Amino acid sequence: MSKHTPKELDLFLNISSHLTGFKTIALLGTGMAETYFNTIVAHVNPKTVALFYNACAEILALENETEITEAIKNELIPDGNYAGIGKKIILMWYLGNWENEVISANAYTQGLVWEAAETHPPGAKQPGFDSWRERPIKINC
Amino acid sequence: MKEQTHEYDVVIVGSGIGGSIVAKTLTQAGKKVLVLEAGLEAGIDFQKKEAFENYMGYLDKFYQTAAKVPNSPYPNLKDAPSPDVIDIEAIEPCKPATNGYLVQAGPIPFGSDAWRGPGGTTMHWLGSTPRMLPNDFKMKTLYDVGVDWPFEYESLKPYYEMAEFEIGVAGSVDEQKGPDVSKDKNYGTDYHFPMKKIPQSYLDEKVIEKFPQGFKVHFNGKAHDLEFVSTPQGRNSIPNPDYPFSDVVWNEEKNKLELQSTKRWNTFTKSYEAVPNNQSTKYTPVGAVWDDHQGHRCEGNASCVPICPVQAKYNALKTLRKSDPRLLTTKTQAVASKVITDEYTGDVIGIEYKRYEDPNSSVFETHIAKGKIYVLAANAIENAKILLASDIANSSDQVGRNLMDHMVMLTWGLLPEKGFPYRGPGSTTNIPTMRDGDFRKEHAACISPIDNWGWGWPKFSPGSDVENAVAAGMFGKELKDHINDVVPRQLLLHFECEQTPEPSNRVTIDPNYLDNLGNYRPVIHYSASDYMKKAFAEYKKVSDQIFEAAGVEDFTEYTTSHPDYAEYEGKIYNFWGAGHIVGTHRMGTSKEESVVNENGQTWDHQNLYLVGCGNMPTLGTSNPTLTMSALAFKTSEAILNQLKD
Repeated sequence: MSKHTPKELDLFLNISSHLTGFKTIALLGTGMAETYFNTIVAHVNPKTVALFYNACAEILALENETEITEAIKNELIPDGNYAGIGKKIILMWYLGNWENEVISANAYTQGLVWEAAETHPPGAKQPGFDSWRERPIKINC
Repeated sequence: MKEQTHEYDVVIVGSGIGGSIVAKTLTQAGKKVLVLEAGLEAGIDFQKKEAFENYMGYLDKFYQTAAKVPNSPYPNLKDAPSPDVIDIEAIEPCKPATNGYLVQAGPIPFGSDAWRGPGGTTMHWLGSTPRMLPNDFKMKTLYDVGVDWPFEYESLKPYYEMAEFEIGVAGSVDEQKGPDVSKDKNYGTDYHFPMKKIPQSYLDEKVIEKFPQGFKVHFNGKAHDLEFVSTPQGRNSIPNPDYPFSDVVWNEEKNKLELQSTKRWNTFTKSYEAVPNNQSTKYTPVGAVWDDHQGHRCEGNASCVPICPVQAKYNALKTLRKSDPRLLTTKTQAVASKVITDEYTGDVIGIEYKRYEDPNSSVFETHIAKGKIYVLAANAIENAKILLASDIANSSDQVGRNLMDHMVMLTWGLLPEKGFPYRGPGSTTNIPTMRDGDFRKEHAACISPIDNWGWGWPKFSPGSDVENAVAAGMFGKELKDHINDVVPRQLLLHFECEQTPEPSNRVTIDPNYLDNLGNYRPVIHYSASDYMKKAFAEYKKVSDQIFEAAGVEDFTEYTTSHPDYAEYEGKIYNFWGAGHIVGTHRMGTSKEESVVNENGQTWDHQNLYLVGCGNMPTLGTSNPTLTMSALAFKTSEAILNQLKD
């Protein structure tokens, strides 16, 4: 991760955690953080990206969770703010997509939607013969 | 044009399940066979490394494609294009929709796809293998609908057993029940499937437990017992020690194909070997084509359509690989364009095919393949198209007509508690209640599978659930909790309605519509009759009763923006294609009314056979692959007998 400023990647991970509802350790566990960080850099103009991370830094510096949530709602979620990066980050983590295109094979198999839905991505991370007869096994909840 | 100097016993067009069964059976019986395959060479390479790498290429394409439709993992070639559900669009009056490979003349679009490539559409089939019912073979006699088959169920029974061996069906015979099903009559007292049943899902259990024994649903004015049955299916499970057979073998003395227990084909030694007496199961699951030790059990990838990553699900390459390679020649990138017949005798004297190097270039070489007997096993649309392009086999005027599919009305809702879909094979349980009865005089019968994959089919869930929630402003814990609450409660039911043969539902050709190689693109004429529409209305009521009794909140929504919609008594219904392309060259008892006889031999050309779902006079309520595979064994036997003469 050396070629990117650690500060912005940290900001990306922390704001991603608030946007997705998944802990940063879970996000890191997908191995996709750097790819998604770079996907934004590749698709959005640098000025907007910088403004977005400035806003993230301010939001993350707030006192408590309620204030952060409220600020995200007002500042990062509206489509008109920062080229819609806020919502696009959520869709990247959940679906592995950027504007309806799959970012990579790994992005698909690492999508968070499958964990949120208590299953696995179809065609990958198969749980084994007979597993579907039982309730899904929860490992990390 | 290059005429082949070498003559084969049999030339087969297509390496899908129909062509592969014929190729395997004939080469194992010592016949020289040529298979022409329109798709790419790489898909038919059985060397370990090459086969694995090619298949992993399919899997990677599946991962990377946003719209994961049935054809998404597989190459769509300009020189051998495939019909794709992604191309389906509404048809304006008198203006064919030409978006994809099929020219959809309407009034409504044909809703199913197929894949033209090595292994054919079994590469993406789901794998459900219920048999047809005895009454399905007598629709005209019993219900005054459609036509009767040229034979009764009993005649097909031994071939059903061969097909169940070849596909490797996992299921419980004892559990099969419903209208017109009894173990003795349909299967025989001692019959077993090769493998034990694929476990029914947790979701199935959550649905089934809501209905007490004797629960009735009402349709067409009568009460019917609601029943649930484990679905027999072509995916590997635990071999059943009670299953006695080890292979299908040609018995030269008796002029018959036989399931027997003493020997089996060995793919490595390319010969028959004795089955050891001490082996506890006679049946061995067939693994992946690149490594027979992989895929001996379904691993729960939950992606059978479009691709089983471990090949635990049957595909036709497994059968083709069992052909005797010393007697089998495959020519790929070879698109059959015309069947050539002798003007005086009517006998087929060759099959013209166009060979391309680059699948997207219009450069090709024309060749002619020669054999004693010819088999078209392309698929129901392609077979009809090739016959029409050749202007043969059509003294009945039935070629291309009676195109059928299961018109699948879907209903969806949320269970009161989590059933945890998106796990396991696509469907493991079906409702057989509407498969047969007097109501078939008035509306279509249907089989009703419980879908294990949530609302994926009609709503593109769970991706769309996330998109909608995010669009509505949800994020963070609220979003995660919402997805966790909704997606695991999704329930989807299919009502797969048996379309009847209608002469006007048909494949035609038109010189205005040609593909990259100058071959015809199929022109499809398609509509839903009142017999189908009444079925939708009755089965929506059945769905309502099931949902209400199970406490399922109904989210079904039918619109006129869905390309396949029908209006009946003031209400709109939506349906989807099942991928069951059937009926374009039907079999029958006379050359006036049918294209082929009971063995798939064309009435007009004694050395031309047709294989595939196109032969089926009616559709029944079963997924057709098992039945067409049974017919392919019957055809193989007839060809072996004809070659003896």
